[in-house]
Amino acid sequence: MRKRGDILVHAILLVFVFLTMLPFLFVINNSLRTNTEMYHSFFGLPKSLGNMARFTWCHLTGREEGIRLRRPMPEGKAAGEVRAADLPIEQVPYGGAMARLWDDLTRGYRYSWDVLRPYMVNTILVCLATAAGVVLIGSVSGYVFARYRFPGSKALFVGVLSLMMIPAVLTLVPSFLLVKQLGLLNSYWVLILPYTAGGQIFAIFLFKGFFEGLPEELFESARLDGAGHLALYWHIVLPLSKQIIAVVAIMNILGTWNNFLWPFITNTDPKYHVVSSGLYIMGTSQVAENYSTMFAAYLLSSIPLLLLFIYATRPFLRGVASGAFKA
Amino acid sequence: MLKARHIPLAIILAVGVWALWPPSDDEATVRLGSGPARAGSDKAARPYQLRVAPGLYLPGTMPQSVGKPLKGLLEVAEKFEQLYDDTHIEFVGSPGVREWLVTQLSAGTAPDILNVNVENVWQDVQKGWYVPLDAYLEQPSPFARPGEPGSKQWWDVFKYQAITRGKAAPDGKSYCISYDMVETGIFYNKDVFDKLGLRPPKDWAEFLDGQQRLREAGYIPLIVHVQNATDWGVDLVFDQLYYPILGGIDLRKDPTREAYLAGYLDWDEICYLYGKGFFTRQDPRWRELWRILKDWRRYWGKDLSTEDMMRLFVTEKGAMYWSASWVVQKLARDPDIPFRWGIFYLPPIPPSVSPYSGGHEMCVIGGAAVQYVVTNSAFKDTGDPATSERLKRAIAFLQFLTAPENADLVTNEVLSMLPNVRGVEPHPELKPFDEFLKRRYTTTKWWFTFDMRFNEIFLRMCDLYLNDGIAEEPYLEWTEKNLDFAVETTLRRKKVDLEALDRAWRQLAPLRAGVKGLPDGAK
Amino acid sequence: MGQSRRRPISQNLGCYGLLAPTFLLLAVFSVVPFVWAFTTSFYRYEIGGEATWVGLTNYIEYPQDPTCGISFRNLLFLTTFSVVVHVVFPLIVARLIFALSSERARYAYRIIFLVPIVVPGVAVLMIWRGLVYGDNGIVNELLRLVGLAEVARGWLSDPNTVLWAVACVGFPFASGINILIYYAGLTAIPESVHEAAELDGASGLGKFFRIDLPLVLSQVKLLVILTVIGAVQGFQGMFILTRGQPGFESMVPGLWMYFNAFSFQRMGYACAIGVILFLIILVLTVLNLKYFKSAEDMTAAAT
Repeated sequence: MRKRGDILVHAILLVFVFLTMLPFLFVINNSLRTNTEMYHSFFGLPKSLGNMARFTWCHLTGREEGIRLRRPMPEGKAAGEVRAADLPIEQVPYGGAMARLWDDLTRGYRYSWDVLRPYMVNTILVCLATAAGVVLIGSVSGYVFARYRFPGSKALFVGVLSLMMIPAVLTLVPSFLLVKQLGLLNSYWVLILPYTAGGQIFAIFLFKGFFEGLPEELFESARLDGAGHLALYWHIVLPLSKQIIAVVAIMNILGTWNNFLWPFITNTDPKYHVVSSGLYIMGTSQVAENYSTMFAAYLLSSIPLLLLFIYATRPFLRGVASGAFKA
Repeated sequence: MLKARHIPLAIILAVGVWALWPPSDDEATVRLGSGPARAGSDKAARPYQLRVAPGLYLPGTMPQSVGKPLKGLLEVAEKFEQLYDDTHIEFVGSPGVREWLVTQLSAGTAPDILNVNVENVWQDVQKGWYVPLDAYLEQPSPFARPGEPGSKQWWDVFKYQAITRGKAAPDGKSYCISYDMVETGIFYNKDVFDKLGLRPPKDWAEFLDGQQRLREAGYIPLIVHVQNATDWGVDLVFDQLYYPILGGIDLRKDPTREAYLAGYLDWDEICYLYGKGFFTRQDPRWRELWRILKDWRRYWGKDLSTEDMMRLFVTEKGAMYWSASWVVQKLARDPDIPFRWGIFYLPPIPPSVSPYSGGHEMCVIGGAAVQYVVTNSAFKDTGDPATSERLKRAIAFLQFLTAPENADLVTNEVLSMLPNVRGVEPHPELKPFDEFLKRRYTTTKWWFTFDMRFNEIFLRMCDLYLNDGIAEEPYLEWTEKNLDFAVETTLRRKKVDLEALDRAWRQLAPLRAGVKGLPDGAK
Repeated sequence: MGQSRRRPISQNLGCYGLLAPTFLLLAVFSVVPFVWAFTTSFYRYEIGGEATWVGLTNYIEYPQDPTCGISFRNLLFLTTFSVVVHVVFPLIVARLIFALSSERARYAYRIIFLVPIVVPGVAVLMIWRGLVYGDNGIVNELLRLVGLAEVARGWLSDPNTVLWAVACVGFPFASGINILIYYAGLTAIPESVHEAAELDGASGLGKFFRIDLPLVLSQVKLLVILTVIGAVQGFQGMFILTRGQPGFESMVPGLWMYFNAFSFQRMGYACAIGVILFLIILVLTVLNLKYFKSAEDMTAAAT
């Protein structure tokens, strides 16, 4: 692998990176602009930032007369009779101008956080609970399938896996009617239980694969020392499976975070909305026309996963590299 | 053991907890909706906790994203709770989609008072999901002062009587209260019109000519969303073409609705007429309807489904914008709008443009915007509407909402709708729509006639047709198949009495004699 | 591989007991609804209404449904396209990353390509619908910038372009997780194989096709299966992007099923469509497994 070839590879990869990031760059930029700015031109940096910089410069160099803003549209005037261009531009004090510009800059974020905050709390709760449930149940079941022979083990395993193929959309309506009967609508359980039920399938698959790969001697020596099944599981198997647990947990959190249709139908009380269905409802309500709010909402909704990835990438990569994904 | 590398994590967790911590209660009153009463508070202890989904007026929201978060309904609820100290009202949001509606209603978990359009209600009246309000409407309203409208009958409180009464379902019962009105109109850029020497057109020919001139000058003549074009456009042109022959095809006259819905074609009449060949490829007026729309389409924008039509109008790329009164708020408060604007209504189609058109004034198709229904959740305390106390509170709240001072507080906080309560004046900016609402109501509203399956397919195929995705003949064939299915389903679902319609048909035969342009089966 | 002696009953019961939570959850949330859906497909049923037995009517109706042909045509196109791009592009990117000489650079790129995953799927779809494909979205504005304003259009509302537009969401398809999976597979190839190939005179592309590709075949198989299952039943994307419009040009079976169940309230019909989809996935997965198994045997025998 020579250095010259490296430059070419870097170039191609950077093109990929740029194309991938392009929409998100626009989202970040546009979340700081006001709606009317975006109406009038698509490309462009946030005017508020530019103005803030300019006004601060004027203030610091003593040129206060350079700090000018247009008067706001008068209320109650016969609609349609005043052009914004006809409104006077007047000098305003520095503090007031900065306050207005800061307000413009962050309006999207403030308003969307107002709406998203409770959704965020709900989603984090549900994701953590589901991940814990899936890891626990998945690892136990995967362990049992991997290490023990009992009548029907193969058939049961194949049966479990085949459930992965049922289209989610087929069971959507009957599942809804079922949870309605169970009285679970508009609660956290209506999300946690079905997610755990579904997510454990892939987890069992991964855990079984991993556990089957563990050498038999490990268990022999522990058994000779008199360890019972629970001790085997708790003290030997679990510590070794940290990486697989990380992979399972992370993939599960990703899936739960992104799941949209089920929460949309079952948790219609805004108190229990999750981020994905909340975003969609925002996007189809009147808020949708307020671009800066929507873009800010997209960014804010990405922060938790971003944090997760910053801290979880290393274990995740190690888990994947350890051969978890073999069919 | 706190290592150095744990510090960033600790900071992030701390910031996260601070950001996610619920805000203090006084701020919490103005959020998206109002949330349930704080646990342990006096409000939470009240026996009747009502949930209201008020639609547009949801406290904490900013309709059209302009202005301040709404709080009118919160004030009204406060006043109500002082009068009824056993009730607490919670406002919730409701996604506008039918899927949500169906699942919630069948599960009995819908809000007690809900904002929903009639076409959704009429389909499901036989399922017992909604409470008929006639009994209450015929009684006095407890909040009307003596001698004022409402003191004899709650019905009298409403300003646009005919539209309100016209919302009765085909089974004769009224399930909806029309709280306010909305109407469509064409917003136009006065500066651009002045520049080209145009004025609001008097008839269709002038209208098309004006659009041609606008296009040549480089503007998009008319910005309209495909959903509105298929809903409003179809109904308006249909009325122009079929009103002249209405005498010969209006099979059923319903005295309670005649005052306003004179000659309105209901779904059963439509089903019967379809059997006689109307609205098929043999119906020349039906073909004419689509020809006119397709001809008009060339003056619309390229992308009919774009979400930012307002942007095109505000940046003067489009000269006219066909929307409705809810847009006024946004235009009036836009801080950067560089032109003067006005509103006019669609001009009539004269016989010179289409031989089948009557050339009469364009009818009005708008009507109730926010419509409140009382759902089956309201009487869940006893399960029986006749004995439910909870239901009484819900009805009382609706009546309270229609008291003039409350309607003023709620409806006029937003610059979008015209209040439907007598004694409450709309914003002066909405005056033109008040004028439009005085016109004659449309012959039929296709959107309300059948069910969602029909509407969904109708809208999609029309969209495709207007965008050159399908030619005229296949399109008309599709429409017929769609109508076949819808008619068959409707006849089965609602058990129509075709005998009575048949008699009426024969009786009206003399009125049809000699009329040009009837399908073969109708001659 | 465990012992072959018979285990005592208590141990078997213990196994079943430990598996009980799994099966309880699965029974309640997967099996029961599936059985219910399967039986309902033989009835005509509206939520809040009554159920009438109609036998196979729903199954016969679907192939004659006017949206059926378009739906499956779209499904075929989207699935094939999806499989190709989600298998090919990440592999190319993974191979390129693997080719870098600096370990830090390799690590950095793997992280960078993971970053887009943090944005929730719903947000990504809405960003593509509004910001990229919108009337004044990135694509159209770029076209106008270079003077090609004539080409600008509503990509998702023009019947000619909608399917391609939907398929291209997520361009350039460098999905972080897939890249990682491939990368893991590539690192698993022992160095000795590479050296042997080089001694034989293979280089660059030839090496890629003859050595790397067959040895990551198991990863490819897994990704193909997952992508196919996802594509055939998934309709969330379509729901948010186009709802099947314009007309029915972008309709897929899953979305039609959703509409029939919730908007049109034709439960029985919707369930029949769902069962048909299930059978298709079943057949595809079985075929997939069989095909790749034989391919794997061949390469194993050859090396």
